[in-house]
Amino acid sequence: MPSSRSPVINFWFIFNAIVALAPPIYWAASSAPPMLGFPATLVYFLAVNVSLTASIVAAYLSDSRRGALE
Amino acid sequence: MIITFGILLVFFVILVVILQRIRYDEHSFSTYAVGDRSFGARYQAMSFLNTWYPGAMFTAFGGMAAASGVISFYVLSYSLLIVMLMYIMAHTVWVWGKTFDLKTQPDLFALRFQSHHIRSIAAVIGIISGIPWLVLGMQALGEMFRYLSLGALSFSQAVVLGVVVIGVRQIWTVKIGMRGVVISDYFQGIVAYIVGTLMLIGLILWLIYSKGVDFSQLPATHFSLPGIGSSEGPLYVFSLMLTGALGGWCWPYIFVRLFTANGVKSLKKSAALAVPLSMLFAVALLIFGMLGGALPEVAEHPSEVWFIVSHQAGGLWLLGLAGVILLAASMGHIDGNIQATGAQIANDLLGNYFKLDTRQLILFSKLGMLGLTLLSSWLACLELPALFTLAVLAYQGIIQLAVPQFLGIFWKKGNKYAAISSMSAGFITAVWLELHYPGSIPWAYGLTSGAVALLINLVIYISLSLLIRQTADEKQRVEALFRMIRHTPGQGQSMVSSVGERSAAR
Repeated sequence: MPSSRSPVINFWFIFNAIVALAPPIYWAASSAPPMLGFPATLVYFLAVNVSLTASIVAAYLSDSRRGALE
Repeated sequence: MIITFGILLVFFVILVVILQRIRYDEHSFSTYAVGDRSFGARYQAMSFLNTWYPGAMFTAFGGMAAASGVISFYVLSYSLLIVMLMYIMAHTVWVWGKTFDLKTQPDLFALRFQSHHIRSIAAVIGIISGIPWLVLGMQALGEMFRYLSLGALSFSQAVVLGVVVIGVRQIWTVKIGMRGVVISDYFQGIVAYIVGTLMLIGLILWLIYSKGVDFSQLPATHFSLPGIGSSEGPLYVFSLMLTGALGGWCWPYIFVRLFTANGVKSLKKSAALAVPLSMLFAVALLIFGMLGGALPEVAEHPSEVWFIVSHQAGGLWLLGLAGVILLAASMGHIDGNIQATGAQIANDLLGNYFKLDTRQLILFSKLGMLGLTLLSSWLACLELPALFTLAVLAYQGIIQLAVPQFLGIFWKKGNKYAAISSMSAGFITAVWLELHYPGSIPWAYGLTSGAVALLINLVIYISLSLLIRQTADEKQRVEALFRMIRHTPGQGQSMVSSVGERSAAR
């Protein structure tokens, strides 16, 4: 069973971990002005979590399409 | 009270009917402990969610959102990060689990590090750390019954009632084992996270349109996160998320979900099914909590936001439904905890030192579950002022399993000396730090005791792994284990004889 994931998905997973955990990013969000009419910290958390969700769904679809799960 | 308790009773009766219809089978300990690895993606997804999000989500995290605002979103971030971790390690853990018939998390430690004692050490850390959370879960049910009784029951009476209800529920957990847990999780999960999310969305709309609440009414502090110069320390949120994400898979009742799936595809599909649901549920809950915090009654009792807003918006009927949703979430967590602990008592403690046949393993597992239910029920009825502190301490302690667990799965070099030393030193350090600096460490920039100990744990693991070389036999055995995961499960099976004999740490 090929266990390697698509490089794009790997990059996306690493990107998610960095934006979710790196303190300078949430420090910056905490002092930023509102975005799209909403507090920046709320937009930050929603964006990170949408990205995490989308990456896992995309990983499954990508692995299924490549036959990596059969 | 008749309406609120009546709705709870209807839910409980439906659940009992479902549980009574489940066929139970004790032909092997694997059937009892991991449901014969027979569950597809939908059951896996719901079982994971129902074990991961306890009823306390509605009280503790709903209350945190109401009282402190956006910082509460860290729970969602680490809840999704652990699913990402599951996706990454699913293949390795499932293949090893299936090939070597692993039934518990300590089984995996014993296989990877070929150590007899590491199985019991990991089990003891897991069991001890889980008990405070079990007791807290039972006490949270007491809070629910107190509120739903509309003042008719005192807190002590409500806790006793909660303990009785959850105790009765455990009859089926003990009787059926993992199959009963997973199938009931499916029903409980639908109620808690699908009906729950719909209700949360309805309550958000009610808060906005009927009460005129919006984010602009909340204080600015509700939208700030601790940064440089803050009292919590600049690394506080990082620490919460890191320990949450790594610690999630250290809980035995979460880890065992990786062994109940019928294949890697089901596990990965379950991750893809669980994340959208997890995100919708938690976003709805946290936004609901934040908006609910604008109500004066909630500001006085933030942890009761779920009950106060439901009661105000829909009267006793909606309050009853709120109780059902919280009960469904609580049951999933408590059942999973008790089932996994019972399996560990039989498999990793008694079974590690005495030769037990299938019948005896199942019997001791059942006795373990029964004993744990009675112990937790008794503790829940006591006034334990330090319980929450113990629960926090337990979390800082259990995440020390993360280093040998994850590096053991992803790095060939580790050995049993590194694993035992690092997790023991990490556990002792976390306890020492928590006792000397309860709550926060003044010199650690907001890092929690568990995060500091994790760093020490990591340094020890890597150092000893590099300093103490694996023997030629051990190196060959580990190479074969890792080679196995690069093959199809069918090809992997052919290696069982060569790897399995030496890996059978028992």
